[in-house]
Amino acid sequence: MNQSFIIGQYVPKESPVHALDARTKLVIVFFYVLVTFSAETLSSYLILFLFAAFGAVMSRVHPLFIVKGLRPIWFIIILTFILHLFIQRQGEVLFSIFGYAIYDQAVIQAAIISSRLFLLILMTSLLTLTTTPISITDAVETLLKPLKSIKLPIHELALMMSISLRFIPTLIEETDKISKAQASRGIDFRTGKWRDRLKAIFALLIPLFISAFKRAEDLAMAMEARGYRGDYGRTKFRELKFTSLDLIVFLLFIIIVIGFFYFNG
Amino acid sequence: MNNQRFRTVDLTMGAVFVVLMMIGANLAYWVPALKITYAGGEVPLTLQTFFAILAGILLGRKLGAFSMIVYLAVGAVGVPVFAEMSAGIANLAMPTGGFLISFVFVAYISGLIIEKASNNSLATYSFAVFGGLIVNYLIGTPYLYFSMNNVLGVPISMYGSMLTMLPFFIKDAVITGLLAATLPSFVTRIQRVSPSLRSQ
Repeated sequence: MNQSFIIGQYVPKESPVHALDARTKLVIVFFYVLVTFSAETLSSYLILFLFAAFGAVMSRVHPLFIVKGLRPIWFIIILTFILHLFIQRQGEVLFSIFGYAIYDQAVIQAAIISSRLFLLILMTSLLTLTTTPISITDAVETLLKPLKSIKLPIHELALMMSISLRFIPTLIEETDKISKAQASRGIDFRTGKWRDRLKAIFALLIPLFISAFKRAEDLAMAMEARGYRGDYGRTKFRELKFTSLDLIVFLLFIIIVIGFFYFNG
Repeated sequence: MNNQRFRTVDLTMGAVFVVLMMIGANLAYWVPALKITYAGGEVPLTLQTFFAILAGILLGRKLGAFSMIVYLAVGAVGVPVFAEMSAGIANLAMPTGGFLISFVFVAYISGLIIEKASNNSLATYSFAVFGGLIVNYLIGTPYLYFSMNNVLGVPISMYGSMLTMLPFFIKDAVITGLLAATLPSFVTRIQRVSPSLRSQ
């Protein structure tokens, strides 16, 4: 279980989509989401779907992983579809279930909204499936760099994101250990009165918080001992590279967007 | 200039709090006592809101709010830090995403109340905790309304969304109230051993 936390939803593979610069993927997903919200016609949805499907195929990620990524959302997509079937009261009656008429406009509306949701989630999970959290963090930092001039702490944001990624497995292990240690001292984490349950929670939280903050203080000390002084004069261990592949994908995406607006009317 | 805003130790403290937040959101995994039986199924309670309030109390309003922004960002890039180990930008756009986004303001308000208060009595903590909880719902509920209407396209009235959230609010108010009672001793114990927290 620990392993899955470090890499998030990332599936390591060697594919053109994995090889793309994280910034390219981030920018494309951002505009894709914007464009999807303005989609109205069937053919414009088809174009968007083809692009996402093309990306999914090129990523060589097993379809099961993609389905797994969509798992928490399936319920909402289906629920939205059904709700729309019953809410919309326009157009011609298509058929009726238990005496409740279903209109053709309702079916169209339901299909549009749920495919919009589906596309949004497919595309965003494609990003996290093919890119490590750490390179998305780097990409966010470089893309938001201009905001530093209005004094937004972009470097601090990216640094804190990477530090917390680093600490997730450590602190999960720590929580495991503490809960076992406290259970061996007789704390009941499973049953009991509300008062006892509350005590059990704090028997876990107090040592956990103290040890976590201790680690944070040690890390800060170690960073300062090595001369950390913000992003001033800092160089990167991992460099993002913009290649010709990125250029090709960008051009392809621009063509897709032009095609989209042409068919969207 | 820029470097003076946060000390190095602030950055690491805030980062570690993001992980604590993740553990708080999924605490039922370690503490099965947090699972309550409701309507035939087991519903794990999450302590997310309480942890967001703690972020404000322990780290102060600025750093607390900032570490909540980092929490959302880490979740958005695909690391399963949200409740029930979920992740992704979609979580933020969904109807309940407003509650996640509100954590930033929850931490800020709770931190502000603690910073402005003259003493650290139970009354101050209760005020900070319920202030945070109210902000949580004050942002979360209209967002639910907005997201239902605009993202899912399901028309729902403001009154309807308020009614939907009412049972959850009562549940949260009870849990947070219970936890608030233990806060004064909790916070002093943590602050005693973590010297860099006190200088906030």
